[in-house]
Amino acid sequence: MIAQSRPSAGPMAGFIPRTIGPWLSEADHVYDAETIFQYIDGAGEVYRSYNMKLLVSRRFHKDGRADIVVDFFDMGSSEDAFGVFSHDLDGDDAKIGQGSNYKAGLLSFWKDRYFGSVYAEEETPETRAAVLDLGKRIAAAIPRNGPAPKLLAFLPPEGLDAGRTSFFHNHSILNYHFFVADGDILLLEQTASAVLASYETAGVKSRLLVVRYPDEAKAVRAYESFSRNYSPEAGRAGLVRTGDRKWTASARAGDIVIVVFNAESEMAAMNRLAAVESLIGEPGPPHT
Amino acid sequence: MSRKMISRRDFLKVASIAPLAGAFVPSLKAVGPAAGEKARVVLVRDANALDASGAPRPEVIQRMLDDAVCALFDTKDPAAAWKSTIRPEDIVGIKTNSWTELPTTSAVEQALKRGVMSAGVPEDKLAIDDRGVLRNPVFKNATALINARPARTHHWAGMGTCIKNYIMFVPAPSDYHADTCADLAKIWSLPHVKGKTRLNVLVVLTPLFHSVGPHGYNKEYTWPYGGLIVSRDPVAADATGLRVLLAKRREHFGQDRPLPMTPHHIFLADTRHHLGASSEDRIELIRLGRQEGSLI
Repeated sequence: MIAQSRPSAGPMAGFIPRTIGPWLSEADHVYDAETIFQYIDGAGEVYRSYNMKLLVSRRFHKDGRADIVVDFFDMGSSEDAFGVFSHDLDGDDAKIGQGSNYKAGLLSFWKDRYFGSVYAEEETPETRAAVLDLGKRIAAAIPRNGPAPKLLAFLPPEGLDAGRTSFFHNHSILNYHFFVADGDILLLEQTASAVLASYETAGVKSRLLVVRYPDEAKAVRAYESFSRNYSPEAGRAGLVRTGDRKWTASARAGDIVIVVFNAESEMAAMNRLAAVESLIGEPGPPHT
Repeated sequence: MSRKMISRRDFLKVASIAPLAGAFVPSLKAVGPAAGEKARVVLVRDANALDASGAPRPEVIQRMLDDAVCALFDTKDPAAAWKSTIRPEDIVGIKTNSWTELPTTSAVEQALKRGVMSAGVPEDKLAIDDRGVLRNPVFKNATALINARPARTHHWAGMGTCIKNYIMFVPAPSDYHADTCADLAKIWSLPHVKGKTRLNVLVVLTPLFHSVGPHGYNKEYTWPYGGLIVSRDPVAADATGLRVLLAKRREHFGQDRPLPMTPHHIFLADTRHHLGASSEDRIELIRLGRQEGSLI
């Protein structure tokens, strides 16, 4: 499957070294959002959900050693590069690119509009060093950084587990991180952008979801849909106590919908909503 | 949205959210086996199923499959078991799975082939294929199908299942990706598939219980379970395999850790598409061989 698609794979391929220690690279394989299923079957939907443009895959081989595979994605924007990186946050920070994780032979990182995965088919001290070296060299070859999603700026810092924030566009990915409902009751529809953050206060873990819609009218419909399907008994404050004796609160501010899940108290839920609204810059009653 | 959504709150009303992904829809109206009947599933395991390198031992796999079909079809002789479900005049496609990292394995494929041939099917009337099934002349004319694939977690469908293994019977698999593959069971009602499947083998020799990275595979998240799950009912086989994966995740992570993508296609295959039985109370589980570490 050699390149057949729109963005050129040439510049991307140029970021990946041809050799790493004793390993030599094989021919590149290039996939776009239509052909990615030929490479990673249905799991390609994850990358499509982040609007992937192109994938360059390069395998490194050395007889007697485990192969190392680089999968290097052009996600089209740095927000989506961050997003696909945030899909799987297990591992230790490898301090590569603008964010990275390493665990059990697998390195993931993002920088600018690119997401990289470097994987050793068997982890040994030698392959671990090679994987990390490859990642560093690829990241260093990418000439610039890119901005992280703007929505991150709306997350109140107090109690935030900053390394566990995910960014996405559809309800399947939301449910991957935190099940809300089996349908798209927030009307994300691949057109919204959302961040899901983890908080811990006094030993209680809660979640904060902030969704930005293409326009305010869509946010209004989404907020109505969420309220109707998830918290129909809530009053204007969008506040309900759920079956686990925790609190869910929601609000809309312009084109943004905010939901706090699993707050330990009514006050904690409302305070977090207010903190987000303050950061958005639209204080006051957001409800319509 | 015309139907009632199932939300997080519905689960919080009744129980912990933890088993959510694994027990997603079975609370809905149950269908499948007739009242009073259960779908029989055989879980056969052997401590010697794998050699020191982790490769399956063909002679052990053959014995495990023989034992499983005897238990499944209530016979003492494997050939009699095969003859009870395959006719000599059948044209048989063995739908395998060739995923590089975790394939069905040749040992399982060849054991199935021998079983089919023991029913009197000549070798030129059977084929083993995965991605080429729509072009394979044997599969195009098949009167019977055998379905075999490994159990694994999957980044989009939640779990790679017997149900999902038939996605190669459609020209555009991505047409079935909506709602994280919710309606995969629809494939089983297509004319070239419907009613032809005689046996399902969910291979749990080295199952994958956690997916990471673009390919979803890391050897660290496999373990030598040394088993086969065999059933005529693909939904029951998959639901049983899912229990194994969830139990392993609980053991490995030290807490309930549902599959991130809900494998609801298993339960919807039951409740929406009536393909088989997904709930434990409608499955007759027969355990053969090694019991230690069975997890379920």
